[in-house]
Amino acid sequence: MSANPAQPKTPWILATLLLAQVALMSANARHPESEQSMLRVWLVTAFAPVVRGADAVLSSVKGAADSYIDVRHARQENIDLREKVDQLTAEKNEALERAAELDLLRRELALPSRPPYHEIAANLISRDASLWFRRLTIDRGSLDGVKRDMPVATAGGIVGRVITVGPNFATVQVITDKHAGVGAMLQNSRAMGEIRGLDDDRCELKNIKSSETVRVGESVVTTGLDRIYPKGLLIGTVERIEMDPNAPWHRIIVKPAAPVDRVEHLLVLMVDQKDLKLDEGK
Amino acid sequence: MQTFKIALTIAVALLLQMLLPNYLRFFQYIDLPLLVTVYCGLQRAPAIGMVTGMIAGLGGDAVVGGILGVGGFSKTLIGYLVGVASVRLSLENPFARLAAVAVASAANTVLFVGLHQMLEQALPHVGTWAEFGKTIGWKVLADTATSIVMFVVLDRVFSEQAAARRMAIKKRFYE
Repeated sequence: MSANPAQPKTPWILATLLLAQVALMSANARHPESEQSMLRVWLVTAFAPVVRGADAVLSSVKGAADSYIDVRHARQENIDLREKVDQLTAEKNEALERAAELDLLRRELALPSRPPYHEIAANLISRDASLWFRRLTIDRGSLDGVKRDMPVATAGGIVGRVITVGPNFATVQVITDKHAGVGAMLQNSRAMGEIRGLDDDRCELKNIKSSETVRVGESVVTTGLDRIYPKGLLIGTVERIEMDPNAPWHRIIVKPAAPVDRVEHLLVLMVDQKDLKLDEGK
Repeated sequence: MQTFKIALTIAVALLLQMLLPNYLRFFQYIDLPLLVTVYCGLQRAPAIGMVTGMIAGLGGDAVVGGILGVGGFSKTLIGYLVGVASVRLSLENPFARLAAVAVASAANTVLFVGLHQMLEQALPHVGTWAEFGKTIGWKVLADTATSIVMFVVLDRVFSEQAAARRMAIKKRFYE
């Protein structure tokens, strides 16, 4: 890297390179599926195993330090968890009873049953690599059957959807991303709207009329109408309602049920588009 | 050998860019491919700064997300301009290098956001001028602070260039 003052061609090369990149970004911005580009897939496919290995080493070091701190609170946590298990067991029994009743009613009304879909577990490789985009990279890809637009969730609720798929990785756009959208409805009133990311670990439920009654703490679930997320998955709970008497819509801030900003293990819902069409009809 | 070292440095920077924000969220503010670009540009070689910027920028676009080419465009330009500045101005001393990083970081953020706005792609943290200014400030601070450590490491990797730079400082001092 020595100085070479005699480089008269450099400005021309610069102009050519810049023009080539203007063409690349114009093509990418126009193309709706620009997240799925060959360069992105090749590069992340090559990097994914290295990042996963380094992450495993760093996680084990961090885990050892965390374990020491956790042990100090284990006794009280154990008591709390036992109480929680009893409470959840009762709730599970109640939910099973309701599901059985629902199945019976569906059969009696001759409604088609909800199509089953299986889930595969995935680990996080990378999270929010820059300030500008809220993306997660997971260690499951097309070799595991993952496809674009498949929903990703945790046991708590939905996290986002797959936007790029490589052989050994997939990139997930989280629901708190400004560019993300989810068809959503309030669980009690069934009023339908749209979830949009706010980029600060919260979402906004839009298009809910101000005449609708909304309560803080009410659950928000998917509608299935966006043809990405199956109907009835938990998105989050209403955290705040900002009412303007002159506005036709509520401004509803939703706290995601899944810990989107610190999730480490996820589930990819292997949902087919045709299953969602069935779901939509219900 | 130099080409191999630069390629390896870019690859490591991209890997760390993917990995480190998992552990500390403040790493989101740091742009490691930009720091590699500025370092290579500061070696008084505009062409090398330009090509390094293009590869690091496109790699960053691929790893981080967003529109391919935006980061490539801004870093190609910055790599070239830092290279030209290092030929014409005295940027060998450590404080001048820090100033170059700060200016490059601010310019990179303005270019990146500006190009996304031109392509009608909304970005977070730039809703108002005040918010945009705050984001630029944090990014400049993060990039400049990181460059202090990173440039020491890179000086060891590119030891011949570091020795040449020390000679240039001595030469200017005695002149």
